[in-house]
Amino acid sequence: MKLLGKSITELLELLKNKEISEQDLFNYFVKREKKYNSSLNAFLSLEERPKQAKKGVLSGLPIAFKDNFCTKDIKTTAGSKILENFNPPYSATVVERLENAGAAVLGKTNMDAWAHGSSTETSDFGPTKNPWDLKRAPGGSSGGSAAAMAAYLTPAAIGSETAGSIRQPAAWCGVVGLKPTYGRVSRYGVIAMGSSLDCPGPITSTVEDAALLLKLIAGKDQFDATTTPNEVPDYTKLLKKPRKMTIGIPEDYFEGVDEEVKRKIFEAIEVLKKLGHGIKKVKLISPKYAISVYTIIQRSEVSSNLARYDSIRFGNDRTHFGQEAKRRMMLGTYTLSHGYYDAFYKKAQQVRTLIVEDYKKTFKEVDVIISSTTPTTALKLGEFEKYPFFGEVMDMLNEPAAIAGVPAISIPVGLDKNTLPVGLQIIGNYFKEEDILNLAGQFEKETGFFGIHSQLLKKYPD
Amino acid sequence: MKKAKLSTKDILHLAKLSNLKLTSQEIKKMESQLVETLDYVQNLSEINTTKVSPTNHTVNLTNEYFEDGIKNIRGLSEQQVFQNTKVKKGKYFSVKKVL
Repeated sequence: MKLLGKSITELLELLKNKEISEQDLFNYFVKREKKYNSSLNAFLSLEERPKQAKKGVLSGLPIAFKDNFCTKDIKTTAGSKILENFNPPYSATVVERLENAGAAVLGKTNMDAWAHGSSTETSDFGPTKNPWDLKRAPGGSSGGSAAAMAAYLTPAAIGSETAGSIRQPAAWCGVVGLKPTYGRVSRYGVIAMGSSLDCPGPITSTVEDAALLLKLIAGKDQFDATTTPNEVPDYTKLLKKPRKMTIGIPEDYFEGVDEEVKRKIFEAIEVLKKLGHGIKKVKLISPKYAISVYTIIQRSEVSSNLARYDSIRFGNDRTHFGQEAKRRMMLGTYTLSHGYYDAFYKKAQQVRTLIVEDYKKTFKEVDVIISSTTPTTALKLGEFEKYPFFGEVMDMLNEPAAIAGVPAISIPVGLDKNTLPVGLQIIGNYFKEEDILNLAGQFEKETGFFGIHSQLLKKYPD
Repeated sequence: MKKAKLSTKDILHLAKLSNLKLTSQEIKKMESQLVETLDYVQNLSEINTTKVSPTNHTVNLTNEYFEDGIKNIRGLSEQQVFQNTKVKKGKYFSVKKVL
């Protein structure tokens, strides 16, 4: 049976109707991984057979997890040599919830070490390659998850985002990436980067799949005090009721964006107009300030979170940290130091308040806000070394939403002249994941994402 | 706002606080890279934040507690606690002498 490119919704139907066995489905992806991973380096480790057999809505579905999700007795490295031999004694809540729903861990995907980066090149285990062009980066830090999804080495992947780490690689690899509201999905068992920003989320080939996985991973977790008791709606059901929306277009988010990317975004806006949605120009605080707020807050939280790696209870000693982690810890230590705290950390937290208020005000006028996910399409490997905060520039359009903690999704809206995918991001109001999924779903239904995924998969036959 | 400045002494102090050992080459690189980042983030001084309170995190929950008497399902066995350590003596992690 031809399985190539099937969504998880379709695969689950095949499993349910016993047209394929759970074991055969798992083996199918293991086989694809063995065929293509040597050129892509999307996976850091692979399970040869499913380790658990719980029954639920995802029964028999293999899922790839970014390697910063603790998986009980499955090596978890966060892309760093410090944790090269770390076997977690427990699983992250997200992993546990998906396993309880019947899913099995297919493998662990590559990432920038400690999720520090936007290209997956800072991984201590070598960079992941972009399936569209092996000379290019897949984006990051969830680059392994996005590349594995794009090349169909997995039917779905879980990534995590501090600012852009789901949306940006999803955009560069031409797949769907959803960053939920901060507090919507538990961070328990996810190796921490910026604790006030980190959000786990799905990377999938369709919007429907993203809705399905979000429903399963979202909700209050007693082990993460920042998860909220807000009820989790049935995103799949809500997706089936298309709604007309007012879409905000922030001009400042188009500054410094590549002309061709811009053109694709405007074409996508035309599609949305044709579907009957209203368009309204909105004024938001320039992303250039979000870059600064994010840089300070994230570096500060990193310096605290990485302090625990002392090689006493687990892991190798601190000489194993790579350059990027060292740079971030040093800067974070500086911005939290006596005498600089007010000028940097507190100032950043204050501007954060203004960004939060800015979004709240704007969401009184519009339902969603859209822009390009990234300023450019995928860059060549090696380009990031030219900039000390390359990632921040590549993620500049993702950072405002991350700082404010609002949800956002990236969807593919076509290819540029180098045959590289362009991503559109839809930002929603707090806990309004159903809105961004709804609009993304309508776009997908109308365009089929221009068939770019099946176009890519011609390069990766079974 | 004036340009940021970090001396070698500052870098060494930060490295000590961060428990990192840096090579002389790394120290030099760090000096220029950290200054470049600090210079960039100074654009925040263009924004007036007097009377603005800081946001620590965005969900605004306060005082999350466990219910009394809740079963501790998170506890780890002794074997699990020690499964990733290289230096253990009996039921203790072994560390270098502090005093």
